[in-house]
Amino acid sequence: MEFLLEINTEEMPASHIKAGLFQLKGKIEKELQANHITCLSLETYGTCRRLVVVGDFAPQQEDREEVIIGPPKAVAFAADGSPAQAALGFARSQHTEVGRLLVIPTPRGEYVGLKKITKGRPTDGILCGALPGIITSLSFPKMMKWDEVNLRFSRPIKRILCLWGGKVLTFSIEGLKTNGLTSGHKLHSPQPFKVISFREYRAGLKKNKVILSAEERKSMILTQIEKRLAPLEAQLYPDEELLEKLTYDVEYPYVFLGEFPQEYLRLPLEVLSVAMREGQKLFSVIREGRQLPFFLGVADALRDRKSLIRRGNERVLRARLEDARFFWEQDLKVPLAQRAAGLRQVMFQEKLGHYEDKSARLKQLVAYLCDRLDEKKLKKDAVQAAELCKVDLLTEMVREFPSLQGKVGGLYAREEGYPSTVSQAIYEHYQPAGLEDLPPSSHAGALLSLADRVDSIVGVVGIGVQVTGSSDPFGLRRHAGGICRIVLDRKLLLSFDHLLEKAFSAYGDGLEKSKKEIIEYCRAFLGQRLRFIYEGQGYRYDLVEAALGAGLDPIYFSYLRLMALASLQKSPHFEPFILMAKRVNNILRGLPPYAVNPDLFAEKEEQELWSSFSIIRDNALPLIAAGEFVKAQNMIFKLEAPLSAFFDQVLVMAEDRRVRQNRLALLQAISGLLLEMADFSQVVVEGEKKERAS
Amino acid sequence: MSLQNLIMNLQKYWSDQGCYLAQPYDLEVGAGTMTPDTFFRVLDRRPWRVSYVQPSRRPNDGRFGENPHRVQKHHQYQVIIKPSPSDIQKIYIDSLVNLGIDLSVHDLRFDEDDWESPTIGAWGVGWQVVLDGLEITQFTYFQQAGGVELFPVPVEITYGLERLEMFLEGKDNMFDLDWSGDVSYRDLRLREEKEFSEYNFNLADIDRLRKSFALAEAEATMLIDKGLLLPAYDMCLKCSHLFNLLDARGAVSVTERVKTIGQIRSLVVRIAQKYCAEQGRT
Repeated sequence: MEFLLEINTEEMPASHIKAGLFQLKGKIEKELQANHITCLSLETYGTCRRLVVVGDFAPQQEDREEVIIGPPKAVAFAADGSPAQAALGFARSQHTEVGRLLVIPTPRGEYVGLKKITKGRPTDGILCGALPGIITSLSFPKMMKWDEVNLRFSRPIKRILCLWGGKVLTFSIEGLKTNGLTSGHKLHSPQPFKVISFREYRAGLKKNKVILSAEERKSMILTQIEKRLAPLEAQLYPDEELLEKLTYDVEYPYVFLGEFPQEYLRLPLEVLSVAMREGQKLFSVIREGRQLPFFLGVADALRDRKSLIRRGNERVLRARLEDARFFWEQDLKVPLAQRAAGLRQVMFQEKLGHYEDKSARLKQLVAYLCDRLDEKKLKKDAVQAAELCKVDLLTEMVREFPSLQGKVGGLYAREEGYPSTVSQAIYEHYQPAGLEDLPPSSHAGALLSLADRVDSIVGVVGIGVQVTGSSDPFGLRRHAGGICRIVLDRKLLLSFDHLLEKAFSAYGDGLEKSKKEIIEYCRAFLGQRLRFIYEGQGYRYDLVEAALGAGLDPIYFSYLRLMALASLQKSPHFEPFILMAKRVNNILRGLPPYAVNPDLFAEKEEQELWSSFSIIRDNALPLIAAGEFVKAQNMIFKLEAPLSAFFDQVLVMAEDRRVRQNRLALLQAISGLLLEMADFSQVVVEGEKKERAS
Repeated sequence: MSLQNLIMNLQKYWSDQGCYLAQPYDLEVGAGTMTPDTFFRVLDRRPWRVSYVQPSRRPNDGRFGENPHRVQKHHQYQVIIKPSPSDIQKIYIDSLVNLGIDLSVHDLRFDEDDWESPTIGAWGVGWQVVLDGLEITQFTYFQQAGGVELFPVPVEITYGLERLEMFLEGKDNMFDLDWSGDVSYRDLRLREEKEFSEYNFNLADIDRLRKSFALAEAEATMLIDKGLLLPAYDMCLKCSHLFNLLDARGAVSVTERVKTIGQIRSLVVRIAQKYCAEQGRT
């Protein structure tokens, strides 16, 4: 039977609509399930003014058969089959007659019992009872109250339509009673009208200028954009986020094309597009990567008969661009180097000082990175970029458009004629800004971004801030993710510990926590982000653990180790080898370290194992140091045969203490080599899984 | 329609909606929200309907009269209705229709924009109302003022009068607007913008501003202790404007900004708490 719910509200933000629909669907599904009501379909729709659920549910709960077990048959009935006291008592307690009792076989023998059938209750009653609770328990990123209504919601609720099989399902929320009415477009067709089915509802909305489906609105927008752009042979400057927002902001999309004066094209594309996007939610129009003096807007309107919408937007945009040009010209009057003195006015974090201090630390860190990575030629430019990268925080442009920080500094540096390495590095040093964003394209930009993030993490952790599931006020997760992505992208051979130590010492004695505490916390934190990245790329959980278990010095090796494990897991040597490695580990658990004395090897198998191991180790270690993990691993696989023979023929736990300890020392040496490759104890192999399952 | 006709039209419209027509407050404020007719009246549980023009000063927005749409003093038309009526959006939209705007040929949008004023510990949820890309009104369900949770919930509607008039006259330059049939916005305001921009940005004496701030702050503290909340609040408004002047002079560092706003807010919060405690007694 058809169920339809529409919560009609004042304009909700796009993020709220999605959150609301997601929760509505989940909560209704859960309610149906808990009540044993079959759900044949359940869909949601949303616009800025409505949250809609439509479904097809069974008209009532399934009948439920319940078996109630009573006393054992032997106790309940006498030998002649006549009911004993126990049977009579049980029947009485279940409000039935002895004649209706059944014999029920159980693993413990035959028992007397009863089958009870509970008739399913009708669905409408259950929905009526549950929906008020479901609707009032929805949560949104920011909640509000209105009027004298005791309810928090995204925006005020105007009306609730709820139908069940074509009839109004009546309930009320804070005095607002459901009805069978909806209404069309707020400005163009606001009269309420009655509906009795989803088909009628959807068609009625369309007739009254509301397109219910977000996909349909989106495709209307895209089709119209294409139509407007075709004569210009131009493209949209892609902006998924804006498109998504506009799709929900309008109920009936109309796309208009506007123009602005050519003279503003002297402003950089970044500035133009942010002035359009953030101020007025307009799209930039480009041809071959160059901005054209056009823009596209999405109105919540049927058409723009008199071009008033276009002209209005043009006028407002012109004023905005005039402002942006004013900022651009004003800012360029003061060179970055001169402006830099002002950084001592700008607070980075209360306990961590000003941006002037941060710039000084970044210079040290970048210089260290260049030395460490043997980038002598880059050093001068990278250090200069570090000195200037935060200066744009003092510009009018960044004050007006904070999302342009970094980019603006880079653009000004370019205008002032700094080397492109410097301006590019400044431009890119906030990249990657999120999971979707790319890491810096230039090496200097990558090193500067890395330095900036390491400095922030060490500083913030150093004053005792910890990241929890819900709280990450300084965006440390994003910084740690950025560090990992830059290291992997650039294949940087850096030890994380060294980098952290360097960042720590750049703070002098300005941090509250000890060096050891900070480094341990940061190392674990970075490991988590790497794990998150690797798993996101689809690598097996246990292989990720094994790769990370061998340490982060250098960080990039964890990736090479993972690659090696992933490529070798199909090898026929893999599983027997892992099992052998685990066996070695198990024997060694909890033992102190012993030293090998080759003279004490008596058996042929242990001598052979020692000599194979020595050769394999001498060959594998240089490969490991060079990051050639696949080759090293193939080498190490060769240990399997002598190890096998050793375990078959030699008693490790020999009577003689010295012999025993010498054999254990041999295994410890092998285990030490294996740990250079990966922490194999983390790997789960087939044989083991079966054992665990049984 | 001239700017003064726009004002008269709104006065009539909101008066018909049962609003008491207040007169502009006689101190420098950054927005209509800050005047006592809004600030104190939203705190208690009694119904309240008021509307008024409020000249609003934002020293940092001064452009020496050279920018066609930014000025250090503009005019707001402020409406407060408590509790918020369920059809308030419609009432507001009708006020635009009443100005002769044919909404069937324009794009009117309620665009998410949550408003916040840390100085007076106030925030609300709502929209900026955008007409063909031009922001003409801030529309807010007021949730908190002076750190106090507001219930019943007031709705605050703030029209930007110059913006709206630019739309109505179809002009690109604010100074070209007609204040009345004979007097232009330029006649009335250009000299004021030039002189105040010069004062705000270049001449205001930083030391004397700081001293004035300290005096007003001390006075506010004394008055709060004596329970004279309206004069105490006036002193907070003076602090707020002096702070804005210091800011325009570039004399406020980022840390100091946070600290000073915090100082003013804590005074305002004390005033709000005392006010509510009194209301509880009566």
